[in-house]
Amino acid sequence: MAGVDVGGGGKSGKKSLDSEINMVPFIDLLMVTISFLLITAVWSHMSRINANAQVPGPPRPDEEMTQVEPEPQLHVEMRDPNNFKLIWKTGSTVVSDKSVPRKAEEIRAGSGVVGVKYPDLAVEIEEQWKTTGKHRDASDKKFDQAVLHTDNETKFSDIVAVIDAIYRTHRPFNSGKPGDSVPAFNVTFAVN
Amino acid sequence: MAIHQPGRRLLHGISLKFVSDHVTGGGKRSTNAGLSLTSMIDFLIVVVVFLLMTFNSSGETPLAKNVRLPKAENSIDMVDAPLVGVVGGQILVDGASSGNTRDIEESKQVKRIEELFNILKAKRELWKQTRPGKDFPGVVVLQIDRDVPAVVVKSVFQTSAFAGYPNVSFMVDGASKTKG
Repeated sequence: MAGVDVGGGGKSGKKSLDSEINMVPFIDLLMVTISFLLITAVWSHMSRINANAQVPGPPRPDEEMTQVEPEPQLHVEMRDPNNFKLIWKTGSTVVSDKSVPRKAEEIRAGSGVVGVKYPDLAVEIEEQWKTTGKHRDASDKKFDQAVLHTDNETKFSDIVAVIDAIYRTHRPFNSGKPGDSVPAFNVTFAVN
Repeated sequence: MAIHQPGRRLLHGISLKFVSDHVTGGGKRSTNAGLSLTSMIDFLIVVVVFLLMTFNSSGETPLAKNVRLPKAENSIDMVDAPLVGVVGGQILVDGASSGNTRDIEESKQVKRIEELFNILKAKRELWKQTRPGKDFPGVVVLQIDRDVPAVVVKSVFQTSAFAGYPNVSFMVDGASKTKG
């Protein structure tokens, strides 16, 4: 048996404050707790990536309409099986246009391939954003827009790999936490 | 009665000497090993504390069977939002059947999925009724298998946006981030 000494007692003749813990049920309790926690533990980590549908809000007749200057948007074309096309457009005007070879890096788990990633595309997008992106300041609440163009047969894993590459570009953001950074782009789909 | 020195008593009644010697140790190193209780309890407490710290009481996000999620590195934590699953041609909203993708896959054209649209719209209305005066977040989580074609993804995405959920999130398997 193990004892727990909490002090006191002794010479005054009062009841001792020392008490004993029975080790057997104590260890049993620890074992049962460990078993419960191990059984209920979640080992796979589910997370999410965002995509915004760019739906206009409800009309506000009380507010005056203001002309908004169009901002450059990054259009990522992934229809070509050999190249990605990165096109910056302001409205319908093409600002820049560059092709990036479609070099997929396989993500392996165990013996099989579970996905791909495009590190070259991610690096190129980051480089282009540093020169063409408009919302780079930490106090800026708006984000640059990336539009993903894909054909109808592309697999979902490929789409996620490209969105993942777009989201690799981060910028500082004043959220209250020091050193906080967020993805530099909002991603949306081109429906056609 | 004579007083004996305490020692091993078990298995000494075996008549055959070589068997008795063997099972009682016979002067060789004992087969029993001591265990320090203090170290063991320390170890158990550390394990319990670690498991308690990693324990998530909010419940695991229900992952439909046979869904293989794509991997992504730059992902964020899950949110509590309606979950639209696309599994084997079936569309499920929070586990309940809400249409199928057969028509879209055959025509290979992006279409609005009426059944999904109506269910999501009803969910949105219910949310607004139960939380009057609050802004609707418009977040929906899509749980789609990695081999599903883009035409289905776009159709579900577009239908969700039309139903009042413009903030679409794709559920992914959060892969560990690599340097470079």
